[in-house]
Amino acid sequence: MDKPLTECALKLLDEEYTLDDYKGLVPRWCTGCGDNAILAAVQRLCRDEQLPPEKTVFVSGIGCSSRFPHYMHTYGFHGLHGRAMPVAEGIKMRRPDLNVFVITGDGDCCSIGTAHWIHAIRYNMNITVLMHDNGIYGLTKNQASPTSPLGITSRTTPGGTYLEPINPVSVSLGIRNVSFVAQAVDWIPEMLHDIIAEAFHHKGFSFVRILQRCPEFLDHRFDDWVQEPDWMLLLHHENGVRISPDLAKIYRNQEQHDPSDRNRAREIASTNHPMPVGVLYRDPGMPCYEDLRKPDRLYTPDIVKAAIEEEFDKFTIHPTGHPTG
Amino acid sequence: MNETLSSLSTFHLTGHWPGRDLAAIEQMGLRPALFSAYRDVEGLRHDFPLVLVNGEDKETVFRSLSDLIDDILQEIAPLGIEGEQIRKHVLGLEKEIRTLVYRGNKGTLLQLWEIAKTNRLSRTDDAGREPLDDNLNRAQAALGVDGELIGCDGEAPIKVLTHTWASFQENKARRFAREIEELTVKLSNILKADTMKSEKALGAEALKQSVGSVYEDAFDFEAMSDILGSAFVNGAVPEKRRRRIRAALAALQSQRFFETDGEETKKSRRKGVHGFVFDRPSRALEAFKERLPEMVKLVKAMTIAQLEIEGRYNEKTHDPFFRRFDERFLEPNDLGRFPSYLICLRNGVGAKTEKAMLPEVLSSGLPMKILVQHDDILEEPSIASGRVSPGIPGSQLATMAVSLNNAYVLQSSGSALYQMRDSILGGFKNGQPALFSIFSGLAGASPGPARNTTETPAYLRAAAAHESRAFPAFVFDPDRGDDWASRFSVADNPQAGTEWPVHSFCYEDEDLQKISEDLAFTFVDFAAADGRYGGNFADVPRSEWQDAMVPVDTFLKLDASAAAEKVPYILMIDENNTLHKAIVDVRLVDAAHRCRKMWRNLQELGGIDNSHARKLLAREKEIWEQEKAQELDALRSRPVSAPATPAPGQPAPVPEEAVADEAVSATVEPAPAETEQEGMPPAVSSDEPYIETPRCTTCDECTQINNRMFAYDDNKQAYIADQGAGTYRQLVEAAESCQVAIIHPGKPKNPEEPDLDELVARAEAFE
Ligand SMILES: Cc1ncc(C[n+]2csc(CCOP(=O)(O)OP(=O)(O)O)c2C)c(N)n1
Ligand code: SF4
Ligand code: SF4
Ligand SMILES: [Mg+2]
Repeated sequence: MDKPLTECALKLLDEEYTLDDYKGLVPRWCTGCGDNAILAAVQRLCRDEQLPPEKTVFVSGIGCSSRFPHYMHTYGFHGLHGRAMPVAEGIKMRRPDLNVFVITGDGDCCSIGTAHWIHAIRYNMNITVLMHDNGIYGLTKNQASPTSPLGITSRTTPGGTYLEPINPVSVSLGIRNVSFVAQAVDWIPEMLHDIIAEAFHHKGFSFVRILQRCPEFLDHRFDDWVQEPDWMLLLHHENGVRISPDLAKIYRNQEQHDPSDRNRAREIASTNHPMPVGVLYRDPGMPCYEDLRKPDRLYTPDIVKAAIEEEFDKFTIHPTGHPTG
Repeated sequence: MNETLSSLSTFHLTGHWPGRDLAAIEQMGLRPALFSAYRDVEGLRHDFPLVLVNGEDKETVFRSLSDLIDDILQEIAPLGIEGEQIRKHVLGLEKEIRTLVYRGNKGTLLQLWEIAKTNRLSRTDDAGREPLDDNLNRAQAALGVDGELIGCDGEAPIKVLTHTWASFQENKARRFAREIEELTVKLSNILKADTMKSEKALGAEALKQSVGSVYEDAFDFEAMSDILGSAFVNGAVPEKRRRRIRAALAALQSQRFFETDGEETKKSRRKGVHGFVFDRPSRALEAFKERLPEMVKLVKAMTIAQLEIEGRYNEKTHDPFFRRFDERFLEPNDLGRFPSYLICLRNGVGAKTEKAMLPEVLSSGLPMKILVQHDDILEEPSIASGRVSPGIPGSQLATMAVSLNNAYVLQSSGSALYQMRDSILGGFKNGQPALFSIFSGLAGASPGPARNTTETPAYLRAAAAHESRAFPAFVFDPDRGDDWASRFSVADNPQAGTEWPVHSFCYEDEDLQKISEDLAFTFVDFAAADGRYGGNFADVPRSEWQDAMVPVDTFLKLDASAAAEKVPYILMIDENNTLHKAIVDVRLVDAAHRCRKMWRNLQELGGIDNSHARKLLAREKEIWEQEKAQELDALRSRPVSAPATPAPGQPAPVPEEAVADEAVSATVEPAPAETEQEGMPPAVSSDEPYIETPRCTTCDECTQINNRMFAYDDNKQAYIADQGAGTYRQLVEAAESCQVAIIHPGKPKNPEEPDLDELVARAEAFE
């Protein structure tokens, strides 16, 4: 619904949000933690898009990364481990006017929260998901996660892990109704910002896996890629992210990839040498669950009250001697 | 010139055949030869009848019965012989329904379906009845839509357009009602929440009432009131805001533009909703002007409501804004949410003053949708109208409207309504003014005993007007791009690329040999089907046919001197299907000339055989040919031993490296190695310390070392804020701890700093 006049009345207010308007508590992440770069990129996005803080909500599960909502001066919901998605879905369902973001970790999303993740892709609600993949459980101090590289030792795998990691991007691409999948790394901030912006602008469930360094428990995990630009593969396309000339000089390994090509996206996603960065897949035509299930009547206070009363009645205990309702 | 020929010429020039009493062609039952296939329109499968579909589906506001039936058969009838029976049964029913409609039966598709089914069943023998009944029931179950069924009669254009308008209106009303409802509920919620927090609502008495009498003994309402009362300390809505909200609510609830039936809004007592269908442009304009203040008030209330709901009404800014707010602030988008006005005019435009209003209305930019239905497009020649040969004044209305450049314009024949459906819907899609100029196919209101004696069905007459370019179809959409090619289209005409549509026509000659001939259908053929013009034709008996008689379309192409030798005719057939040649008088031929010219204009606007383009092309071609000729001459005059130059038209050979280079730059653009440093931020001498800020990952390492020396910029990325605020050692350590290695320490500033040699050596890694 366009509200041209409202927009013009709002413009009169001449409010301009700065980066500081989106800063919440001072982050308590370790120095050198990749989460900082992601926070900075997201705050930049909010500022560039001038998202009203009261119309923006960050939902997270549990983990170092999931502390994110505290650091944003917007609405936030620091939820249960692995359960960020259903909470975000509920919010989007009833308040489609809000900008809903999900912040999750590799443990939060690909371990305990896997079922929710898969179904969230299927629902394809208009939510932007940033999955901070440091390949480890950080908050609980060093346990292997489903994306930990083969052989690393941790508190839960003192003899090293035995299984190959799963690839969250390939998994997402394999699910029916998938509509947006991208991969970013915390150490190329420009691409990180641009990819998150693409994800935000996509109408549908946008899943961004962000490779994130954890110097505390999995230091040097990404050193090869951080130090050797040729180990990276930058994806660009007129319908995806464009690479600035400065960046192009450092990262010479590039591919023009059309995000509507799902098969090529799968091929690209299947390797991390070189490590692809960019928008892998996008289908703007996929319907969103909140649109499919849009209620055709308005929930007035009376209707809501009646529904609550009905629920309460199921549990009402009537004092003895009194007539039952 | 032989004697007969000179009589024919005389008729052509004067309308009199010396010494002969001419029978009027319509009394001989003559019709244009190409009509022979349409003797029984009812029995032909064509677009009509149309179903004016009930319900919301905006894609299919109206559908043709035969289309619907095709869809059903596709769904339920198996391919091949297996599906033969059901196809036969259902198509038979379609035919029955069409006949019913053409015989004047009225009703919805389902109603006529039932009648047709009963008719069919009653004409079927016992054995056939059950499978027929079965098949028709299956088809009916697959139908899925219903709505009034209309034939191509004098009412069709008005009905189709009114129905389309109404169905757009319904959609709009639904959206609008929902918006109003939503605003109302949310605004009321603000007041409700306020009331619930008020002292009164939290008083013991009110609490007691809300619990009800059954359990009142179980509670101490005084205590409850004390506790709840202390829970809400601040937050009462200021009186001024409350008044503003109430005023907005009142305006929302008293709006009269749409019917609303929502829970909240229906509580308000409502004066009648405005009507939007008019039979005169002046009245529609008056109504619009009269309602303008109401519209302004409503838009204002909706905007205030939206701001209040979002909690963003700012009195300092918005009070003065809304005080000044009037109709000048209404944007096309705001207008577009309100109903459009439908103005139906019949038989041309009627009173002169109303006619004069059309340009005003159409250029106003207001949401006025005007239907002009023409029941007669052929004007009889009269000196008073400044004509000595018939004209088509109706078709000038739409071309005039196109020149206003501001309104959506559609011209069509009633027979082509279904074909033009998307364009018709296009005229209703937004709030701009639109003109639909449509020829119904009825004969005109002009008096005269000869009129319409051969009773041509409206569908056929309308189709003939369409076919003969007497009333060509076109669409002009001013919002669609800025050039004629995107805005104007004549594509909906039969054989739009030609002067007249040409059809092959088969007949048997005297020796019973099959002859096939290409016949053009011209304006003259159209006029020949109109009883009023019988006197402009003369049937020439077969024995008197002459070589100098030429078909009208050929005649029209002749220059004056060649034309003087010839007499134009059209082929006609009588009721026994015998072929006749009827010669035509000069007045009709003149009219055909004008018709052809007008069609040429439309064609050019529509980009068909555009004369500017043709001239330009000819000029370019000439220049090109000259150039090539010169090149060839130059080549020929060259000594034979000269190195091979490519022949004209062939590309010169390209050096291989160049090709490779091009291919690379088309995909990736890695810069050549030597320019690597170029553009790197910032371009300073390596003695100065710097950070490649755009690559900073905000990891806090450097700021932890010294947050005065290193600081974050507006994008939260690090730069050297004050080199003097720290030591060279800190610079080097920061460079070493920066994981993306973007800190460059440069050379030490202070020669007194300890361990400089060691530090400079460590810094070398970051040069
Ligand atoms: C139901 C439940 N199970 C286990 C935990 C313990 N727990 C807290 S965070 C965490 C893993 C977090 O890893 P990840 O999602 O990768 O976040 P990171 O800290 O690496 O950012 C676990 C297992 C919990 N809080 N709740
Ligand atoms: S433990 Fe790892 S993931 Fe957690 S804050 Fe520290 S560096 Fe970041
Ligand atoms: S150490 Fe490097 S990446 Fe980290 S904040 Fe400083 S400049 Fe940025
Ligand atoms: Mg993790």
